[in-house]
Parts: sequence; structure tokens; C-alpha cells
Amino acid sequence: MEEGKDKLLVRKIEKGTVIDHVPAWNSELVLRVLRLDGRGRRKADVSVAILENVSSRVLGRKDVIKVDGWRVDEAEADLVCLIFPSVTINYITSWNVSKYSPRVPDRISGRIRCPELSCISNASREPLTTSFRTLKEDRMLQCAYCDTLIDFDRIPDCVMA
Amino acid sequence: MTNQIDLAGRDVVSIWDFSRDELEFIFDSTAEVERGGSARALDGKLVALIFYEPSTRTYSSFEIAAKRLGSGTTGFTDPDQSSVAKGETLHDTIRMYEGYGADCIIMRHNLMGASRFAAEVATVPVVSGGDGSREHPTQAMVDLYTIRKTFGKIDGLHIGMLGDLRYGRTASSLSYALSNYDVEISMVAPDLLSARRETLRYLNAKGAKVRKYTNVKDVIGSLDVLYVTRIQKERIPDPTEYERVRGLYRVNLDLLKQGKKGLKVMHPLPRVDELASEIDGTDYASYFVQAAAGVPLRMALLRSVVGE
Repeated sequence: MEEGKDKLLVRKIEKGTVIDHVPAWNSELVLRVLRLDGRGRRKADVSVAILENVSSRVLGRKDVIKVDGWRVDEAEADLVCLIFPSVTINYITSWNVSKYSPRVPDRISGRIRCPELSCISNASREPLTTSFRTLKEDRMLQCAYCDTLIDFDRIPDCVMA
Repeated sequence: MTNQIDLAGRDVVSIWDFSRDELEFIFDSTAEVERGGSARALDGKLVALIFYEPSTRTYSSFEIAAKRLGSGTTGFTDPDQSSVAKGETLHDTIRMYEGYGADCIIMRHNLMGASRFAAEVATVPVVSGGDGSREHPTQAMVDLYTIRKTFGKIDGLHIGMLGDLRYGRTASSLSYALSNYDVEISMVAPDLLSARRETLRYLNAKGAKVRKYTNVKDVIGSLDVLYVTRIQKERIPDPTEYERVRGLYRVNLDLLKQGKKGLKVMHPLPRVDELASEIDGTDYASYFVQAAAGVPLRMALLRSVVGE
């Protein structure tokens, strides 16, 4: 992942996840989707290194996120790739790199909250798991309960803490 | 074709779930009920009517439909007087009525998607009487049946929808139902009340012919049906917005005289001031015929989903 003059900014990791080719200045949104931002989980044994706006042969400029000591959940990795198709995700085990092939799920359950406040899925006491259909061609999700559409690039705003 | 259709056990929570053949089956069945068929088809059954929002005609027409079919009825029309006021969830209320032996749950709720959730919880059919500003599937069936009965067909007609197309659930449900037919749909509304993008996307995906207008005079001359809806005061978040759009679209005889011969005016009722009473006694008025279709259509529907 390290390219050109940014090569030595961050050391290699023994195990964890490298999220590469994030469009420049969007690492914050990726961390929100992975719930590694201030609203989400914080794990004592996980270090996160963020490179922002480094040079990239593919994108010109990009962000890179290294999560040291933690394997990002595959469903969350899929979600990140849905929002940012350029992203590549590599899992690191004992210094070995394996590239993850993201899937486009037909349906996403949990993880995301419907932005429509009048949706039954936002009634806090109902025993209900949110559910969204993926409309890949339109780059949107659609709430299975109230039909509200969410553009892929608005997903970070809807991720549950 | 239609005699192969079996709707037993089906939930009725969205018009999206119904094909043209299924709608035609329900309409044929409604015509049969109007001719006097289907007496006591629900003898010994129990229908629960649980209404979390005020309703006069939807509640009454479902109740009358169930009783005419011989079914018992239970439920509530005022959640403040029920266990809901104590904080009971929709989930538990549904389970409770099922436990009491309800063979069908007819519900209205203020939250969008509530009937779909109830259908997941219930093992018996759930029929929506409207949920939030999303859908009102049986009203759309009543509306479409009225059009078919009035014109003898649905294909080839030009339907104009006027008023609150954003918060009004009947207009969106009717447009979904119409997308099963070869019709032209003209949506007339101020920007503030224009159809939700969810509605437009669905219609576009179905290949419906939809045009948008802000002034009804631009399209009145080519319409077969003018479907007027009330501004949904209770759903508009900002009261000052309501005052701005209120009375913006008022249908009277002067307007209708610009229409072509045979133009019909429909309205799901209740009306406030968007439809002048001077229309009531004229050939334009279809809204009382439309209201009268509520009972036989709901009888036909309940017979199909609850009956043996």
C-alpha cells in the first residue's frame, strides 16, 4: 500500500486489516461504518493508523487505514466497499496478506438505522431488526419496512453506534 | 386466468405485493358481492380491528364487511383507552389478539411500515388500513375498482392526481396500483407536496407513464379522472407549511368545465375545502360511488384472505 514518498509513514503489521484505496479525505466515514469512530466501539488492544491524501497510482490521491490487531468484520467490509467501490481490503495474518473479495449483499440486516423517523423500525421498544434491500444499479438501499431510500453515500450517517 | 388465483392467508400490507391478475380477481369478486354473493363466508371467524389512528370510513367499512360475512369483530379504535396507553408494543398487541383466536388482523398505525412488521409477527393475515404516510392498499383497490366500474376499463385512461402527493398515502397506493395498467398518470402538486422519490422510483421502475405538473389547468383538458386528495395537516411537520399550501388547490365547477366530456372527480374522503360541494349533485362526482364500494370490496378481500 505504501507508495512513493509516503512509503515509510506507517510500519507493516503482523495481523489486522488494511483498508486501501479509500477516496482521499474519506477515512473518517470508513471508520464510522466500521464503528471505530468516537460513537462506536473502542478496543483497548487495537491501534488504528490513518494516512490521508497520500499519492496513489490508481486514484491520484487516497486514504489508507491500518487496523493493527483486529480483523474487520466481513459484513462491515462489504458495506465499506458498497459505499466506496474503489476500496480494497486486505487481511493480514502472520505478516501474510490475503485480499478480501467483497460481496454485494441482497439485503442488509441490522447495522443500519432507517433515516425516516416515522418508520416502525425506529420504534425503540419493538423487537425488530432493521432490514434493507440493496438496489445496486441505483446505488441505494431501501428500507424493507417503510420503503425509504438511502443513497449509498449517505450510509455512514445511518450506521448504528 | 383469474379463477386460478388463491389469496388465502395473504397479507395485504402493500399494493406492491399484488399483480394485475390478483387485482382483477379482487374486482371480479367485488362485483359478485355487489350482486348479492358471498353471504356468511366468514361464519365463526373472528376479525381483530386494531386502529392506532382515528378512522371513520375505513374502520366502519371493514367492520361492516366483516359482520356482513358473518364474522365476529373485536379490537379498538382509540389506543388511549387500550393497553397501548400503558406502553404495550405493537408486537405484543398482535400476539395477544392472535392468542384470543383472531383469524385476521386489520390495522391502522401512525408509523410507516407498521403493518409489514405486524405481518412478520402474526401467523394470520394482516390487512393494512393505512400506515403513516406510506400506503393504504385497500383504499387503492376501492379507487381502482370504482374507475373500472365507472369506465368499464382501466387501460387507456388518463388519471390526474391533485393535492397532497407526499404525505397522502392513498395517492401513492393508487399510483402503484395503476402502474399495473396501461394508463397515463399526471401528478399535480406544489413542490412541497410532490410525490416522494420512493414513489417516483417505483413507478419509473415499473415503466409507468408519469408526468408532473404544478397547475391543474395545464392538464385538466385531457383527464378522464381527477383524483383529489386532502392536505394531510396531521403529517406536515411544520404548521406554517400547512398554512402556505392550504387552499392552494380548490376544485370547483369552473375548473371542471375546462375538462373533457365524461370527466369524473374522485376523492378518498374526508374532504376539507379542496372539493366544492357544488360538484356533489353533478355527473362529475364519483366520490360517493367510490365510498360505497368500500364495503363490498373489503368483503371480497376478507372472503379471499380469511375464508376457507
